[in-house]
Amino acid sequence: MRALNRRLKDLAAEGAEITVTNPGARHNTGVGIFHPCKINIEGSVGYYSASMIDGPEITIHGNAGWALGENMMSGKIVLTKDAGASVASTIRGGEVFVGGNVGARAGISMKGGALIVKGNSGFLTGFMMQKGRIIVCGDAGEAVGDSMYEGEIYVAGNVGSLGNDAVVEDASEDELLDVWATLERYGIAERPTFTKIVSGKKLYHMDSLERLEKAAI
Amino acid sequence: MCGISGIIHKHSSIERPANVGAELVKMLESMTHRGRDSSGVTVAGQSTDGDLIIRIWTDDEANASDVLARSEETVQRAGGVIVDRVVRDEFLRLTVNYEGDIPKLAEALLNTEGVEIHSIGETSEVIKDVGTPVQMDGRHDISRLSGTHGIGHVRMATESKVDISHAHPFWAYPFPDVTVVHNGQLTNYHSMKRAYEDQGHHFQTRNDSEIIAVYLADRLARGATLEQSLADSLDDLDGTFTYLVSTRDGMGCAKDRWSAKPLVTMETDDVVAVASEEVALRQIFSDEIARQEPQQSEVLTWLL
Repeated sequence: MRALNRRLKDLAAEGAEITVTNPGARHNTGVGIFHPCKINIEGSVGYYSASMIDGPEITIHGNAGWALGENMMSGKIVLTKDAGASVASTIRGGEVFVGGNVGARAGISMKGGALIVKGNSGFLTGFMMQKGRIIVCGDAGEAVGDSMYEGEIYVAGNVGSLGNDAVVEDASEDELLDVWATLERYGIAERPTFTKIVSGKKLYHMDSLERLEKAAI
Repeated sequence: MCGISGIIHKHSSIERPANVGAELVKMLESMTHRGRDSSGVTVAGQSTDGDLIIRIWTDDEANASDVLARSEETVQRAGGVIVDRVVRDEFLRLTVNYEGDIPKLAEALLNTEGVEIHSIGETSEVIKDVGTPVQMDGRHDISRLSGTHGIGHVRMATESKVDISHAHPFWAYPFPDVTVVHNGQLTNYHSMKRAYEDQGHHFQTRNDSEIIAVYLADRLARGATLEQSLADSLDDLDGTFTYLVSTRDGMGCAKDRWSAKPLVTMETDDVVAVASEEVALRQIFSDEIARQEPQQSEVLTWLL
């Protein structure tokens, strides 16, 4: 895998268009690529694939394991099938599009960028997210937006339940147009309505006093 | 971290078994990055002509042959007729013609000094050892075992020591053919264990995963279905777990409420394979077929 990633880096520096065949669902495929380039991966990849990238456009024709695109700075990842848990974890920029479903903790601790899921998302979607946007065209599982600080989560289907301190807010027309335009870029022509979920910001501060603090008042 | 895997051939039978041993070794070997302290498999649905398969191991290396001979005497004293015996260092595999009560035989063996029982099965056996699956296969010829289904494990120890008796799968002493592989940690192990010991259950190890096997076998023995037993475990077990269970009738899985540990499945008309990672499933299926990922608090069963 190290040899493959070194070769990918070299080719990316030349701005080449690269195809990887037979990835065999192995971990860490296409990690640490810092130049704009196009990479096609023909098959499923394992954990942490396309993670720590800055610039490339990576298309994966298959499934991904846990933490696809972790810590991406910029660029684009398109996955045609399903992703495991923690997809787009801690990304700071760029876009991750998943053509199928995603597992638990999608977009955990996102710090920017966008995660777009054509199918359903699992438990704890947007857990502790700090910035950025998550769009789920199908259903989202339980505890959506638990402990999120900032950012927005849009769910077109059912919301299993809201997480701790997550609240529903009306989406403005401009926001909806922007979400629809994003979907259109990925070939989704439907214009569904969305439940917009944001932080209630109650967890920013302690809402109860400690015993000694009470005594001091 | 650990890796678990399982496979079941839907149209197989004891008369028409599949190469389950070789398939499990291949799947597990592809996941040795998840653990290489020890490895183990259950191969179930084996043809035994009505005999019992007993797997015994001793940690008394210096006196292994004496201990194993003692265990054979115990089996014979309990009324078992030894049909076949294979000895490999500290390991003994017996095929026994036995008509009596299996828990009684298990208890007699447990009380034989130096003996640890890896499994007693009417159609299944547990093989486990330290090292990687391929190393274990070289020592125990797992690839030659065929059956209808099986489960396996590669271990990276977290909660208890690295040795053969703490390798998975765990057999549910004294219930024949119920074995478990587990990825995770149980936090209410000690309180559950005390409750079971008060009811007269014996545990062979200090590994938290052993209690899952006993818990499920106990439920099944009281008449619960496998699916109900797995569903009940979601409330009764505390901690993180994704585990697989093998019984005489098939295989099942359960995943905790946090979805903390991975599992993916692939299914065709003939075969269901499950594993911690897709890389293991790719050892079985070369075609692009749909991958499913069970979510939190989900249980699945595949019965023959």
